Amino acid sequence: MSALIGRLQIRHILVVLLAVPALYLTFILYHSGNLWIGVGLLVVTCLGAFIYLNPSAMTFRYLFPGFLGFGIFVIFPLIYTVYIGFTKYSSQNLLRFDRSVALIHNETFLSPNAASYKYKLYAQDDGNYLLTLEDEKDSTRRFVSDPFELTPGVKPKTEPEPVKLSTWPPGQEVPGKPLEMVQINRGKLLIPMRAQQFALPDETLVALAGLTNFSSRERLWTPNPDGSFTSKKDGTVIRPDFRLGFFVNDKGERVGVGFRTFSGFDNYLRILTDPRIQGPFFRIFLWTVAFSALSVFMTFAVGMLLSVILEQKDLRFRQAYRTLFILPYAVPGLLSILILKGLFNQEFGAVNTLLRGIFGFAPEWNTNPWGARAMILLVNLWLGYPYMMLICTGMLQSIPSAIYEASAIDGSNKIRDFFDLTLPLVLPPMTPIIISAFAFNFNNFNLIYLLTAGGPQMVGGNAGETDLLVTYTYSIAFLDSGTNYGLASAIATLLFILVGFLAWINLRVTAKKVKI
Amino acid sequence: MNSQQKTALRLGTSHLLLIFFLVLVLVPYLIVVSASLRRGNFAPSGLLPDKVSLEHWKYVLGIPYQEVVNTGTGETRIIKAETPPLLWFWNSIKVAAVASAGIILLSGTAAYAFSRLHFKFKSATLGSLLILQMFPMVLALVAIYVILDFTGQYIHWLGLNTQSGLVMVYLGGISGYIWMIKGYFDTIPASMEESARIDGASQFQTFVQILLPISIPIFAVVFILSFISFMSEYPVASIVLQSRNNWTLAVGANSFLPENQQLWGRFSALAVLSGVPITIMFLVCQKYIVGGLTSGGVKE
Repeated sequence: MSALIGRLQIRHILVVLLAVPALYLTFILYHSGNLWIGVGLLVVTCLGAFIYLNPSAMTFRYLFPGFLGFGIFVIFPLIYTVYIGFTKYSSQNLLRFDRSVALIHNETFLSPNAASYKYKLYAQDDGNYLLTLEDEKDSTRRFVSDPFELTPGVKPKTEPEPVKLSTWPPGQEVPGKPLEMVQINRGKLLIPMRAQQFALPDETLVALAGLTNFSSRERLWTPNPDGSFTSKKDGTVIRPDFRLGFFVNDKGERVGVGFRTFSGFDNYLRILTDPRIQGPFFRIFLWTVAFSALSVFMTFAVGMLLSVILEQKDLRFRQAYRTLFILPYAVPGLLSILILKGLFNQEFGAVNTLLRGIFGFAPEWNTNPWGARAMILLVNLWLGYPYMMLICTGMLQSIPSAIYEASAIDGSNKIRDFFDLTLPLVLPPMTPIIISAFAFNFNNFNLIYLLTAGGPQMVGGNAGETDLLVTYTYSIAFLDSGTNYGLASAIATLLFILVGFLAWINLRVTAKKVKI
Repeated sequence: MNSQQKTALRLGTSHLLLIFFLVLVLVPYLIVVSASLRRGNFAPSGLLPDKVSLEHWKYVLGIPYQEVVNTGTGETRIIKAETPPLLWFWNSIKVAAVASAGIILLSGTAAYAFSRLHFKFKSATLGSLLILQMFPMVLALVAIYVILDFTGQYIHWLGLNTQSGLVMVYLGGISGYIWMIKGYFDTIPASMEESARIDGASQFQTFVQILLPISIPIFAVVFILSFISFMSEYPVASIVLQSRNNWTLAVGANSFLPENQQLWGRFSALAVLSGVPITIMFLVCQKYIVGGLTSGGVKE
């Protein structure tokens, strides 16, 4: 009984130890404006507490941690990717709509009768800065800023929010060390300062104009109640076009920075209809299928051959052979891929040095599409046969030797035995492994990305001749000059449906043999 | 031909064939060892290095060495790696070991529930786990980036450019291992646990004290397989880890081989130094792994 109490207490303490920080985090999330994520965390925390405290939820105590990780890092990314596939989200339409609106709202121009201010910059002990301004015509208008950061010599990539200025009452000291013009210049502070706007108490924006003074700037766009903006300079009206993901003026020209927007099935239609995408997409699809099928077939054939040879009981050194043949599986795959990439180097690599020496010819492994494909298949065979060999060995050992004895009496030979007896016995239980090997190669990102990076380039397209769908998608999302997350996610969704379907078939095949 | 000659012929051809394959398998590794000992950073070609030099090994270990800059004047300079590349190997071991331990904890408990307990939609859940895992992690990179960027704002050590953040991401990939461990649990008869329950042990006690000790072999397999797959994982690590000090072996090794200036010598030294321990570990545990592969994949 006392042991039971002890165990219960440990569990309670653990729950409290985890729940308290989680609740604290919930509070912080809520406080910083992430209401829904906070609510999500709260629900998960309560669910966890319930599961670990209530005896009726016993089963889920074993499932909760695993499902939590799976949910955050597999299911959420999946849903998020499917969602992005339905949006316009690329290097041109990068910002959230509210950020895009804020940028337009903060756009300013120098008005002709702008007030001019003298300024002083104060370095703070913690590395931040303070700014004071004094109107050149009216010395009672004095302001001091909130502390702000400046990175010397760097112009910020995104436009920073304006820093607030408040009235500076006479007689009040400003903390920190005032900087001379020379120090500001030598410290490369002018570059980041020029990109920073400041807001007076009346919301007027001021910014550095020239070296020694600030001048007030006027906001260029006045917001209208219907969501459009009117230019103060020339009266142009711009309104958001949610189809384009841009603000457009009356002539239909794009203004400002694009924003993300919902685009329905546009990305999917593009895959089917846009010739720049559709052409390479189907070629890549065919190559992906061919690559996966050939890889599985070749690794299976070689793995089977080796395991059959090594199953001969009277063969010497079997164990030593076996250990050495597993090497490509034991060495981390990434290292092996890169090593083979070096060996297949068209000009200096070992493979071509050897072939040139013996046969006097050197295949173009790097520049010819067929050469590159052949190299990929050879490398993948080299990397993949040990796994098949291990599996086949296991299968062969489970076949009772009696059936071979029976067929030997009938006068059969080894090769006929293999095709008539062994293969029919081994293939059915191998099916799920073959299907999952196919699915694995279908998405074999590491091999292609590290070996050829998809190269050589396809003529007249931005795809590579050896790209698989997965590397093609990766390059659309991350590497291309025109990064396009929306399109990449749409292709990723299609890929998932394809491979998921394979996995489903695999399950059905396995389910007939194994009771789940 | 009598049967003795036949046997000799069969064994002879077997050995010939095996040795031929073995040469193809082993020569690439030997060439890399030689490339790591050769002066200069050329693509690996010959079996024997012409000019033996330990410069690449020194570089990888972070030991300073002299390099001749100008052969005419004999001018030299001292070269020392700012981040010793062997640190990447250590980073990889840390990340892979912690993530593999986490994987065992998460998939082991889940596999227990799937194998021994009863709950609604059990087989449907098990099946969808496997199907959902088919979504390639590479393509979820945008979302993973978003998640870590967000968590980093609140919990510093779980953000981008942290190894603990990378470990968290890796912990999502459990479903294959759940299947594997469940397959093993299914082969163990539940009668022992049942009799322990009758003797008054709690469910958790039977799990920890009866099932776990006999399942150590499958946990060894899962640990090694996941360890090796994390050692080779490139895309996620390359996006999450940004500073050189944090890189894993995969990111660091590939950084020696950019399109324009491939440092094959340095890469080879790093490959040898980090590949050898992992390979030895794998070969030592080989027996377990083979058993695990065949028992996890297919069960008759």
